[in-house]
Amino acid sequence: MSEGGAWQGNWMTRLYERVRERGFDSLTAFAEARPAVSLHALADELGEDDVAGVQVLRGLLTEAERRKQVTRFVRDVLVRLLSQHLPDGWPAVLDDPSRFTVAQVLAMWASFTPASHEKRVDQAGDTLLASPPPPGWRPLGPDDEFLRTLLPDEEV
Amino acid sequence: MTPMRPRPRWAVLLLALALLSTSCASWTPPPGRGKNLRYSPREEETPSLVLEAGTSQRQHRRQGAREAVTAVEPARQEALAAHLAFVRALGDVTTSTRLMSGELSRLEASKRGIAGHYPELFVPFVQYGTQQLRWMDAELAAATRLSALASEMEDPDMQRALLRLGGPRLQSAMMGAMLLAVWLDFLTLADVVLAQHPSYSVERLLVQLERLRTMLGPAMTALASGEPGQAEAAAADLPALIGHLTGEFAATRKRVLESGENLQKILLVKDLLESVALGSAMKMVLPRMLGPATSATLGVGLVMGSNGVMMGTRMVVSAEWVEMMRQLVRAGVISLPAVSAAVRIHAGQVMMAEAYDELPRGVREALGDGPEVRAMRVTGRAGAGMADPPRHHVLPQEFREWFEKRGFTGDMSIDQFCVEMELASHQAIHGGGDWRLGRMWPGEWNQMIMKALQRAETRAGHTLTQSEILKLVAEYMRLYKIPMNFVPGR
Repeated sequence: MSEGGAWQGNWMTRLYERVRERGFDSLTAFAEARPAVSLHALADELGEDDVAGVQVLRGLLTEAERRKQVTRFVRDVLVRLLSQHLPDGWPAVLDDPSRFTVAQVLAMWASFTPASHEKRVDQAGDTLLASPPPPGWRPLGPDDEFLRTLLPDEEV
Repeated sequence: MTPMRPRPRWAVLLLALALLSTSCASWTPPPGRGKNLRYSPREEETPSLVLEAGTSQRQHRRQGAREAVTAVEPARQEALAAHLAFVRALGDVTTSTRLMSGELSRLEASKRGIAGHYPELFVPFVQYGTQQLRWMDAELAAATRLSALASEMEDPDMQRALLRLGGPRLQSAMMGAMLLAVWLDFLTLADVVLAQHPSYSVERLLVQLERLRTMLGPAMTALASGEPGQAEAAAADLPALIGHLTGEFAATRKRVLESGENLQKILLVKDLLESVALGSAMKMVLPRMLGPATSATLGVGLVMGSNGVMMGTRMVVSAEWVEMMRQLVRAGVISLPAVSAAVRIHAGQVMMAEAYDELPRGVREALGDGPEVRAMRVTGRAGAGMADPPRHHVLPQEFREWFEKRGFTGDMSIDQFCVEMELASHQAIHGGGDWRLGRMWPGEWNQMIMKALQRAETRAGHTLTQSEILKLVAEYMRLYKIPMNFVPGR
């Protein structure tokens, strides 16, 4: 584990240097080429010692705001959280451990969501728990059909 | 004299005493097996080990299903190995403290010896030992709690961080148990003298014990202090102290034996006394001190062999023990100086004349004194000589009460979960400093973590447990790449 190297110097500059070194002109393009890969893994690929997942998250949001694709970004974040924490897909039964895992995913999802979308994300979370997706549901990207009904695009 | 005639009274007494002496000896291990009554350098299979190992393996299997991220598997295996070593070491020390507890109870009730004619004089010495056991038990209980929490963690870094939190406790209890074993030998000696050697001066014995307690008291207090720096220093000085105490023990024993007038009686006392010191680490040195000067052994150093650490032809610590300690040193749980001290004590390399500043290289390397370990120690909790970077609470102080209600109290309070971080990084994470570089959205660390914890609790539908909170915190620490190395806050 790094000794806080991710927060030395100008991390935003470093982040984009690494993205360009890998042949992408945006962080979004880099991330889209790695669908359903956890934020930790994205960050580690860009800099195991000096790039943090939360910085990737910040970069992705900035780009999404510019492109007016924040809702899509929010869905993408959930996909990455789900693939990390529920690799076998949505649990068939919510027993104690799996209920905590789902709660953890939804809580983290909300904490990564900008204030503008917070309410919708909370409602989506309620829906997921009230009428859960089919067991084994495992979205592979932000355009997953079920996910789009859960959190449809608003921006035009 | 016909065979049918009753034995004279003294013979019956002798027989009874011989039996007594055998029973005394029964708690000492058969020679050659290297198994020690109190602090044992060889691991013993304890039920807790089996239990914990089962849990960890289950955990491991469950994690196997998770996404394969490069370099996560080795980290997980290392954490698992460290955890197993931790549980073993805990089991070892717990076994020895339990045995000592039994011995102390026996002594406290020894109506013919320590609790005989002068209980008010001698029983306090036993009680002193019992008091030491109490802090050791508390340290072991806290270490056990941390070990149990660690077994519930999925993140190997968090797992190791929790073990490291328990490291100083385990280490203090381990070193304390060694010292207490020596004290117990003195108490047993006093018990034998009081019971079997009424002509020996009670006053002399009392003064002697008082002196010894004064001698080992400061080290014991330092180990009990919970101050890593103090305890570490005491651990490093322990071989010399035990060497000194061993000398005292030999001298006392000699004095007792010389003071007797009845030859048969004194032979019996001698037998009893010889069985005494076999319980503690002193057994390695005493034979040399009591027998004719055997200069041959003085030059014999420690060698790392395939079976463990050898001294001459004698194995002093087993390969399993070395491996266990290596894992703990590697994971930053126990410090190398403390392990070195333990090896030297077990090897009887405790006399000043024989004291080596450091263990031979082979042994040191086997224990894990590699460059990576040295680097870890510099950045680790000791951080000797360097100005420590400021410490910050991972679990926000503003919400202390919230955490207290979820079990973060006492030796598990949020003050135990701090990280050292330079100001710039701290400001970046907290959204201060240069906002262009630092400001995080949707807010600073505290807001982010509290929002997540409170939402997780609502979604889970129950009050979060300690392990659930730490699981979530581990996610965020990893996301922020905050090094998972907890230090107590100030």
